[in-house]
Amino acid sequence: MFDPAALAAALDLFLHWQTFLWLIIGVFVGTGVGAIPGLTASTGIAVMLPVAFFLPVAPALGLIIGVYKGAIYGGSISAVSFGVPGTPGAAATVYDGYKLTQKGQGRKGLEMALYASITGDTLSDIFTIFVAPMVAVVALAFGPTEKVWLLMLGMVLIGALTGKHLLLGLMSAIIGVFLASIGRDPMAGVTRMTFGQWWLMDGIHLIPLVIGIFAMPVILLEAAKLLGERRAAGTGEQEKRKSVWKTGPGLSFQEFWRTRKELGIGTVIGSFIGMLPGLGSTPAAFLSYALAKHLSPYKKIGTGVLEGVAAPESGNNATCGPTLIPLLAFGIPGSPAAALIGGALMLHGATPGPRMFVYYPDVIYALFMILLVANIVNLGIGRIFARVYATLAQFPKPVLIPLILMLAIIGAYAARANPYDIVIMLFLGILGFGMIVVDMPTAPLVIAFILTPMVEENLRRALIMNPGNPGKALFGSPLAIGLILAMVVLVFFTVQFLKKVEE
Amino acid sequence: MAMQSFRQRLQTKQGIGIVIALLSGGVLVYLFLTPWALRKLSDGFYLGFFNMLSIGLLLLMGLGLAADKHRKEVPEELKTLTLRGFLGVLGLAAGCLLYFEVMRRIGFLVITPIFLFIAFFALKLGHWWRCVVLAVVVTVIVYLLFSVVGLELPHGFLSVELPI
Repeated sequence: MFDPAALAAALDLFLHWQTFLWLIIGVFVGTGVGAIPGLTASTGIAVMLPVAFFLPVAPALGLIIGVYKGAIYGGSISAVSFGVPGTPGAAATVYDGYKLTQKGQGRKGLEMALYASITGDTLSDIFTIFVAPMVAVVALAFGPTEKVWLLMLGMVLIGALTGKHLLLGLMSAIIGVFLASIGRDPMAGVTRMTFGQWWLMDGIHLIPLVIGIFAMPVILLEAAKLLGERRAAGTGEQEKRKSVWKTGPGLSFQEFWRTRKELGIGTVIGSFIGMLPGLGSTPAAFLSYALAKHLSPYKKIGTGVLEGVAAPESGNNATCGPTLIPLLAFGIPGSPAAALIGGALMLHGATPGPRMFVYYPDVIYALFMILLVANIVNLGIGRIFARVYATLAQFPKPVLIPLILMLAIIGAYAARANPYDIVIMLFLGILGFGMIVVDMPTAPLVIAFILTPMVEENLRRALIMNPGNPGKALFGSPLAIGLILAMVVLVFFTVQFLKKVEE
Repeated sequence: MAMQSFRQRLQTKQGIGIVIALLSGGVLVYLFLTPWALRKLSDGFYLGFFNMLSIGLLLLMGLGLAADKHRKEVPEELKTLTLRGFLGVLGLAAGCLLYFEVMRRIGFLVITPIFLFIAFFALKLGHWWRCVVLAVVVTVIVYLLFSVVGLELPHGFLSVELPI
């Protein structure tokens, strides 16, 4: 499976100043996005995706992966500094992180969050590099029937496990299926569901959809809150908080080494959960925290100790690499970020999936290199600019909202220079706003949107291969039956498990 | 009183489910009335299969949500959303569309400071002069950043370009 020629080609792609430049920019922007409460990794990637569209493949991957990893770490900065998680994945870090700040050890807390994030991320990336190719070998044996059910498994799992309510998650996925079926039929090229509009004939493009669903709703929600208030928002009522970086001494190596058990717990849990579609960094962080607390009661996790930061931070960052395993091995994005990374690959002509290991091994190897080097960049930028990011967490919303709206408009237009993409983006932005307001998660919509054309293609291929026998086309292999059963069993048991974790 | 009770019921998951079911039902009827939805293609597949399947499932799930054990719950964000806030969001979206249309005609550098000023002011950033300064500074920074990346922004009829 290892291809030395592809590795050499990958080094050629990777060892380019543009790759490093955009990786550094990505981590820089991502950490800032993560540090600002209300913005998520998906928001940051969505806004940067149009830029990635214009870059060669390796710098584009560097940018997107840099934003992703930076944002996952960046959430801990405001969690430790102000007790407000910058991203949902950093919510578990607040318990001990903010208590450390209150005890005058904020700097230790910030450094622990940084080193725990990097440790978990690096170890899980190594795991990804070994596991993804092995899983892809198995996936290459799948025919159209098996692929249909595998893709359906991915969509159903993501719909069922994302968000608080099973039905709402599944509805989000179904809306994604509907949106994907607008435009041309993938096999015959006949248009459908265009409402008589010529500009919908080519369907909805990924970039305005991603910006409309991931970036716009968050910003519109913040705008709704501000516009709904009667008092002025930006007149300095936010108390000026002392820089946490100045509070107390830094972290020593002995203190870091003392948390190795919690780091291990976070890394293992994060890697496992990261591989499963639909779960993501938030359950990984909470589960790591809960397990660490349970296994080491004498360490008094929850009272403001370093172990209480190490476990969730290594847990949430350890999902970064493994979340790409279902994407690379099966073509199924396991998280919104993986969907966007997959989107970036598709925009450059490399469709994620097992065949990518055959036709684009250089891109795969370059991706692995970027995953590892991004951690070093994250470490450097986190270490040098942590005090700046802590200040950024107090960035006034009245400035942030119009800025992101402007970037969203330019980004959506820049992809195809099609003015109707702005209309689509704004429509989807209002749809996404409505979804957030009614507690419907938006991630399943995007993932289902990406997967639906593949489901349709494989389904119709299976039907063509078994003319007049739809039963055999859909259920004609033991592997297909196994995947259907796996879908039912996994959804049932994971929903039950998540309910118990919530309790 | 009756109006308030109706609005409260609409805000529950039951109300949301019913609204989704009604909208889906409407789209499903539209699909059945179109000439293409039930058109059979050369491979035996119906052109509107995925459209009808997704809308049909949405209809069923909407009804499921209306009957679900959590149907009386009201989502947190919906509880705190005011009519003023919602109208503000629609206004903001309309403003974005207007901004884009005007930008295509008169250029990024001219309209963006105006758009940002109005947005900062509407979102209550503070004194008008603060809004003006920030609007101009942000415009120039974004223009320079996009120029470095190589993304061309609309110049409009003024064709104002900074030498980069």
